[in-house]
Amino acid sequence: MSSETLPAAVSPAKLAAAARFSLLKTAVIAIVLIALFVQALIVVQAQPAELITGIHGMADILSRSLPPDVSSFPAQLWPVLETIDIALFGTFFGVILALPLAWLAARNTSPAPAVYHGARAVISICRSVPDLVWALLFVTAVGLGPFAGALALTIHSVGMLGRLLAETIEDMDMGPMDALSSTGAARLQIFTHAVVPTVLPSLLGITLYRLDDNIRSSLVLGFVGAGGIGFQLLTAMNLFDYRTVSLLLIITFVLVLGAERLSAAVRKRVL
Amino acid sequence: MQYPTGRLALHSASLTVHPGEFAVILGANGCGKSTMLRIIAGMQKPTAGEVRIAGQDITRLNGRALSDARMTLGMVFQHAHLVKRRSVLTNVTTGTLGRHRTLFTALGGLPPQEFPHAMNCLEQVGLTQFAKQRASTLSGGQAQRAAIARALAQRPRALLADEPVASLDPEAAEDVMRLLRKLATEQRMAVLCVLHQPDLARRYADRLLGLRKGVIAFDDAPANVTPDAINDLYEGFRPS
Repeated sequence: MSSETLPAAVSPAKLAAAARFSLLKTAVIAIVLIALFVQALIVVQAQPAELITGIHGMADILSRSLPPDVSSFPAQLWPVLETIDIALFGTFFGVILALPLAWLAARNTSPAPAVYHGARAVISICRSVPDLVWALLFVTAVGLGPFAGALALTIHSVGMLGRLLAETIEDMDMGPMDALSSTGAARLQIFTHAVVPTVLPSLLGITLYRLDDNIRSSLVLGFVGAGGIGFQLLTAMNLFDYRTVSLLLIITFVLVLGAERLSAAVRKRVL
Repeated sequence: MQYPTGRLALHSASLTVHPGEFAVILGANGCGKSTMLRIIAGMQKPTAGEVRIAGQDITRLNGRALSDARMTLGMVFQHAHLVKRRSVLTNVTTGTLGRHRTLFTALGGLPPQEFPHAMNCLEQVGLTQFAKQRASTLSGGQAQRAAIARALAQRPRALLADEPVASLDPEAAEDVMRLLRKLATEQRMAVLCVLHQPDLARRYADRLLGLRKGVIAFDDAPANVTPDAINDLYEGFRPS
């Protein structure tokens, strides 16, 4: 049996050559991986010694930032509200723009292939350009401040919400849509009366998840001048006011964790 | 009707259904029953021939005019296809959307003047007490009756039903058949129904149509159709 299943014409010399070749292959892969890693070390200018000798610098900053400057807490309430509202604005208008876009970008509801590809392209651009870049763009348009950040989050949210919603619509049962179309209902009526009610729970879940994401993003957007806690953090850093920095970090931590918990709790109730 | 693949699904299959008549199409899988219904409903265009509803040929219509023509035909599918999260009454009222193309209804609103009519349709199918419930709480038979009410809400001249009882238990199937019978008799509705149950067809229909390989094999009152004629339809699909 075995003489039949094994290839008949494999000579010992050929087997040895094959073994040598696979060894060579392993070696080449190993060398490439090591080279990749080494170039990363060089490019990031990794100097572990400096991290060790510089550790007291970090300890110094840490000691200077303690205790957190609680007295400045009331002054931070407005920026906190700003941060939350940037996220709310971005999520709200993100959903409003994403819903019709998702309708055009879902294979089963899109009116024409050209529209489908167009809508997909718009969604991809919104998503692939980072929100920080959108914020910088909008700062040049509407100036420094929370509005620029809110617009940036709106556009970036459209990218993520549009894609997830389009996928939800594509997964949904076509039956109710067919039934409504057979009654003579118009395309838009089919969307608002069959598609929207069906995807509503998913829409709510995705939106809450996005709100939580947006609160985190809105913190970072402050660094490019979009207002809120991020901007306070940047200012305090530049003024070497480390006790305010630590207070702001604690606020950030509470805010992010709170948003995460809240959105998870609400999602659990709704779904 | 010839498909682009070259398969001839239907040929020289002509029929007329009159108001108040309950006609049932019988036939094996793949004999062209569904194709026929889809063509009549305007969901597919035939390669030749015409479909006349009250004298108007709908195979030449497109877009808005086709939608308007489809309003005169109520469709009932194998599954109820209700929007499960909305109330039964809301689902029925969506049947009237075709005649209310306003910004308000396009944005998700329902025409308030149609609620009495929708309740009326629910009464005809015997579901008034479920009007406010979510559609997801209905049983299979109730859901199918609600779907018929939705089709009635569009004020059709004829009802087309594609295997309306295929996913129902026997009792619910009887209910639905009784309802279709009643609508034909009392509302003078023309009912054309594709069915897989010859015995149900015999008991409720005025007319049986046998479809075999795209050709109408018989078209007669149930009393004149012999069991052998029906068995012939399924020949080659059933053992013996």
